[in-house]
Amino acid sequence: MSFLFLVGVELKKIRRSKIFLILVLATVILWIPSVLNADLNFGMQAEGISPENNFFIQGFMAMAWFIFPATMVVITVLQNQTERAGHGILKMLALPVSTAKLCMAKFVVLVSFSAIQFLMSIGMYYVSATIAGSMQNYNFILPPLFIFKEVGMMWISSIPMLSLFWLLAVCIQAPVFSIGIGLASVVPSVLIINTKVYFAYPMAYPFFVITSEYGKLATNLNTAQVELIPWLPVAALITVVCLMISCIRFGQAERR
Amino acid sequence: MSFGLELRKVKRTGFLPAFLGGGILAAAVPVLNMAFRSEIYVGINAAPVNILLNANWQIMSMFNILLVVVGACIMYNTEYAEGAIQKMCTLPTKESTMFFGKIAVLIAVSILLLLIETISVFGCSVHWFEVSADLYMETLKSFGFFLLLMLPTVFCALLIASLSKNMWIGLGIGVMCVFAATMIPSQNFVLTLFPFALPFQTLENHTADVIRNYAAAGAVETVLIALLEIMILKVRRSFE
Amino acid sequence: MNIIETQNLTKSYGKFTAVSEINLHVPKGTVYGFLGPNGAGKSTAMKMFLGLTKPTGGAFVINGKQFPGDRVQILKEVGSFIEAPAFYGNLTGEENLDIIRRILGLPKSSVSEALEIVGLTQYRKRLAKKYSLGMKQRLGLAGALIGKPPILILDEPTNGLDPVGIHEIRALIRSLPQQFECTVFVSSHLLSEIELMADNIGILNHGRLLFEGTLDTLKSSAASMGYPTDNLEDTFFALIDADNRQRGGVR
Repeated sequence: MSFLFLVGVELKKIRRSKIFLILVLATVILWIPSVLNADLNFGMQAEGISPENNFFIQGFMAMAWFIFPATMVVITVLQNQTERAGHGILKMLALPVSTAKLCMAKFVVLVSFSAIQFLMSIGMYYVSATIAGSMQNYNFILPPLFIFKEVGMMWISSIPMLSLFWLLAVCIQAPVFSIGIGLASVVPSVLIINTKVYFAYPMAYPFFVITSEYGKLATNLNTAQVELIPWLPVAALITVVCLMISCIRFGQAERR
Repeated sequence: MSFGLELRKVKRTGFLPAFLGGGILAAAVPVLNMAFRSEIYVGINAAPVNILLNANWQIMSMFNILLVVVGACIMYNTEYAEGAIQKMCTLPTKESTMFFGKIAVLIAVSILLLLIETISVFGCSVHWFEVSADLYMETLKSFGFFLLLMLPTVFCALLIASLSKNMWIGLGIGVMCVFAATMIPSQNFVLTLFPFALPFQTLENHTADVIRNYAAAGAVETVLIALLEIMILKVRRSFE
Repeated sequence: MNIIETQNLTKSYGKFTAVSEINLHVPKGTVYGFLGPNGAGKSTAMKMFLGLTKPTGGAFVINGKQFPGDRVQILKEVGSFIEAPAFYGNLTGEENLDIIRRILGLPKSSVSEALEIVGLTQYRKRLAKKYSLGMKQRLGLAGALIGKPPILILDEPTNGLDPVGIHEIRALIRSLPQQFECTVFVSSHLLSEIELMADNIGILNHGRLLFEGTLDTLKSSAASMGYPTDNLEDTFFALIDADNRQRGGVR
């Protein structure tokens, strides 16, 4: 069975799960305050950032710090619960498919959902930038190339975090702990991006990326800049280790 | 009776350890903050409790709210996962009794949470600041205020959890509400009345009038959400 | 005296009628077999008796009481078993029954009694989610029998049991009226099974009651209509088939 086919199967499993509704809701809640408080973007002289850049950065900062990681935790719950309700997992394990492949297919679904959420946020960004622009008589819209580059960076930087969430979901059977630890781990990232060891904490990566971009765009602000060494090797290591352990542990509780 | 029953139902779900662990985690925030950078805070000219809460309460209360949301979801998940709720409906008891039993359990563990955190804040005050005579009273008052403002969150989280058979929907909506609460500017009184935003408030940042308003709002919201849940259960029953 | 009686009881979901104007009469102290193919509306009717779903038409009386006014009173007297599984997976079989016992306000001993009756005593400390299908079924039955209620409503109680288990449960149901002085309302899609347990039977097809009465009446009326009667299962098929044909080939 080809891997892509398996990913398709996994996507089919979460049809009618109303997860899109939750994603849309999250994106809308994200941008409403930005539109309502659009006038605040003009008072950023101290930071030295242009109103249109500020509009973009503030929105995506709010997304990266909490709602994006939190919705990803919710999606791991969704994937697990659909499998456990009705014991679908037992059937899957009884089919001639490698469990590691199955585990990776599910992870790919998680990564695709993160991409979908970022795409939705971009769409919503353009909608709200247009609305805010007409309210304030100002052009908040930034070129798509820039937006896609920045958001793409955030998305890629979120993959280690997703692999860690996936590890939690696979290895911790009691949902209260896998969800609780996942959500709780998101909270301290505000503190951690300001420390020197940000690269050891995957939950802070997307937030770190967007904050450092904030520092670049705001002439008077000095935020930590991305240093590929040691960040890149550490992030890659975390991702590989998490995925390896999840693939080994996947379905073991059911097969015991 | 209903309290004991609901407490039994969360056996082996990790519910109690999660609240205990979460409480300790939240309590560690001010301790770590002081341990690493006490020099920023010690010099501030204000009451120790005030300084500590200003510096740490946002994060601590965030832990609390998230825990309440997850706890509420877990409680209803045990009902829905294997259809136990259907059996409960064929027994001579009301669904609302079950709801309030769960509320009692959630309030009890919230008290546990706040207690651990209050002890931590108190300990930090004693260790890093000069103890004044009114420290005990201040800490106790804060604890009471937090507990009262936590009630609407507890009720609202459990109401959301009770609505959906699928845990991720309840959890998703709960997380969305927490997120919305973090986006609310803390100076806007009306907006901060959103049930999930109330626990972020601290006693020290407000005048007596505002505190009275918050207390009243907390009580009113609690009652309103309880009534709403009773109504929802009635309506849902007639649609099944 | 009839302990359960319905008058034109109806339940429709939109255009689909699950239960259509049925009139049941369940005499006190008997076993009443409720028979019908899958999807005939048996479970829907039973859910209405338990207040799990509201009738869209007609009415019913259980031991002189009605929903929704006497809900708690009715449910105190009725032990029920509807659609397994319905339990807390994180609790043991014993703990599950203990929760039911507390709500019903029964003495502690009733849990071990119920476990004994259904033969789960040695598995009482095992988590309910680790139970086999048959054990889950037995746990559900124990939850219905606990406290020996005067009325029992059992929806396909032998589903998922092995032949020995089926035999045991049938014998148990048969003996209940004498043992506990209760009335049993039990559904099945097998006439051969109902035949072994029931004093009276009601046959349901596509939501309509085709027949109600004793087994002997069924045999004689079937014979008078020219249906086969030497094998009861054939009688049942013939009845259902004739009804389906009469409804215009809708199966």
